[in-house]
Amino acid sequence: MIQRVPLAWLNLTHDRRRFATSLVGVGFAVLMMFVFSGFMNALFDSQLQLINRLNGEVIMINPLRTNVSVPQTFARRRLYQARAFEGVQNAYALYISEVNWENPETHQANSVRVTALNPDESVLTIPEIDSYRQQLRLPETALMDTRSRPAVGPVAIGVISELAARRIRLVGTFTMGTDFSSGNGNLIMSDQNFLRYFADRGPDEDQRSFATVDIGVIKLEPGANVERIVETLQESLPNDVLVMARDGDNGFIMREQQYWEENSLIGFIFSLLTSMSFLVGVILVYQILYTDVADHWSEYATLKAMGYRNDYLLKVVIQEALILSVLGFIPGFLVSQLFYTMAINATGLFFQMTSERVMNLLITTFIMCLVSGAIAVRKVQTTDPADVF
Amino acid sequence: MFKAQQQSKTNFLSNNLAVQIQQLNYSFGIGDLSKQVLFDISLELPKGQIVILTGPSGSGKTTLLTLVGGLRQLQNGSLRILDQELMGLGDRDLVNVRRNIGFIFQAHNLFESLTASQNVEMAVELTGEFSSKRDQAMAMLSALGLADRVNYKPQSLSGGQKQRVAIARALVNHPKLILADEPTAALDKKSGRDVVNYLHILSRRENSTVLMITHDNRILDVADRIINLVDGRLESERI
Repeated sequence: MIQRVPLAWLNLTHDRRRFATSLVGVGFAVLMMFVFSGFMNALFDSQLQLINRLNGEVIMINPLRTNVSVPQTFARRRLYQARAFEGVQNAYALYISEVNWENPETHQANSVRVTALNPDESVLTIPEIDSYRQQLRLPETALMDTRSRPAVGPVAIGVISELAARRIRLVGTFTMGTDFSSGNGNLIMSDQNFLRYFADRGPDEDQRSFATVDIGVIKLEPGANVERIVETLQESLPNDVLVMARDGDNGFIMREQQYWEENSLIGFIFSLLTSMSFLVGVILVYQILYTDVADHWSEYATLKAMGYRNDYLLKVVIQEALILSVLGFIPGFLVSQLFYTMAINATGLFFQMTSERVMNLLITTFIMCLVSGAIAVRKVQTTDPADVF
Repeated sequence: MFKAQQQSKTNFLSNNLAVQIQQLNYSFGIGDLSKQVLFDISLELPKGQIVILTGPSGSGKTTLLTLVGGLRQLQNGSLRILDQELMGLGDRDLVNVRRNIGFIFQAHNLFESLTASQNVEMAVELTGEFSSKRDQAMAMLSALGLADRVNYKPQSLSGGQKQRVAIARALVNHPKLILADEPTAALDKKSGRDVVNYLHILSRRENSTVLMITHDNRILDVADRIINLVDGRLESERI
């Protein structure tokens, strides 16, 4: 068996304290990348939390509704018309409005987003709606998001407070999370209750009725051709509605994501911060590798005198870079998970560490260390063994 | 006998030469700044001899040693090492030449992170003999009186012991030519003597040629031959 002396590993770990410091440094760069990319992803992902739960393959909205938070509605009869088409199983209405919720403890009013639906229809894939259906049918009741911001006060069954200056009772909770347009939290209630709160508000505020719908959710029959039905619906219905598939490249979810990517600075700011963390990591790892090479300069030169070629020394430095990236990634990853949990609790944003994102950052860390290694190795390659004498 | 060899150019006799230098000149720098350090060196070292190279500092000893060691490219003249002409060889070829030469430096240049045995094994790995590298390293370290120190790292070895590990690393592949640059300069009298004695015994046993630079008058007695280099020219020889 070919078993070389593991020079890279031994050189790195020889000085335990320096090795530990190096790993902390790499881990910190990894943590910063996780934090910044995490915020970016969380802000984007959070925008999609509500629409990811829409229980239908086809979505109908007002064409002016460029993103979910724009308060543009369309006529509910378009949904009834859609029900008549072949392949359409059902069409549900979703009503959305923003209104003040009073924190029952501090009596501070904070805006929340109310999403209303017919509890007898499965409009959203939120299992709590089914389990609290009976209670939702009662007047002046609602479910509240447990990931609402702390400003809304306690979120629990039985909490009684005021919504739009009117009494309301929480009969259950669900878990979703906040986004840009949800204010401090999410409430779900029945459409009947929605009328109670929003049908006759003051003259300055929008009055709501069942006549207008915010998002139409169209459920297709199993096996139906989504693309064809979207096309048929759009052609047959008037132009005051926009019909699109929920998923896919031209889908509603993608459209929402693209809207926030193109119309907010989130992507720019957090990509910049992530790249800066990457650069800090490159410089840090370069320092570590360069110090190793500089400290062992005459030993490496002796190896070259003995007959080792540059590519062996290149391999040693690259191995050191890879060891640093893998072993530095682990603590960085673990602390990041802790950070994500804390960030979820503090902001209500949707921080998720998918295996794809972890892999991407691991590869980024590899590249980070390889770039540093490539710069540091030039020092070894220019080492002239004749100078050792 | 040496004189006879010098005059003869037959193949049989040249095969008995470890080093053969003819009209070697060498300068540092280019153009107006060029400074010649070696002038018309012609020198033949038969196999199995210990040759000491002395001379004042700046006389070109180290330059000559690095040229013989294939660590610099030749400019003109002829230099044959173990029957291979170095003139005109590129860097890649010089690396192959160097693998047949043992180098001993003033500093031990051992990796602090490796044990004595691992430092020596690094040299064996160049030959590709991975399965026997540990045995070879152990054998060579034992020959240098370090059998009980094979798993020590350099920081737990004395200066003389470290230099002996460095010699083990230079000799483990049984090179026919050993180049040493002031191997005792950093050592006290006794360990310096030990190191030279080991070098003496082992080079005799392996029938290797040793070319050693030293200012250390205490060790001149091991030499078969002493060459004096002054201002880049061979001045005198004592045999």
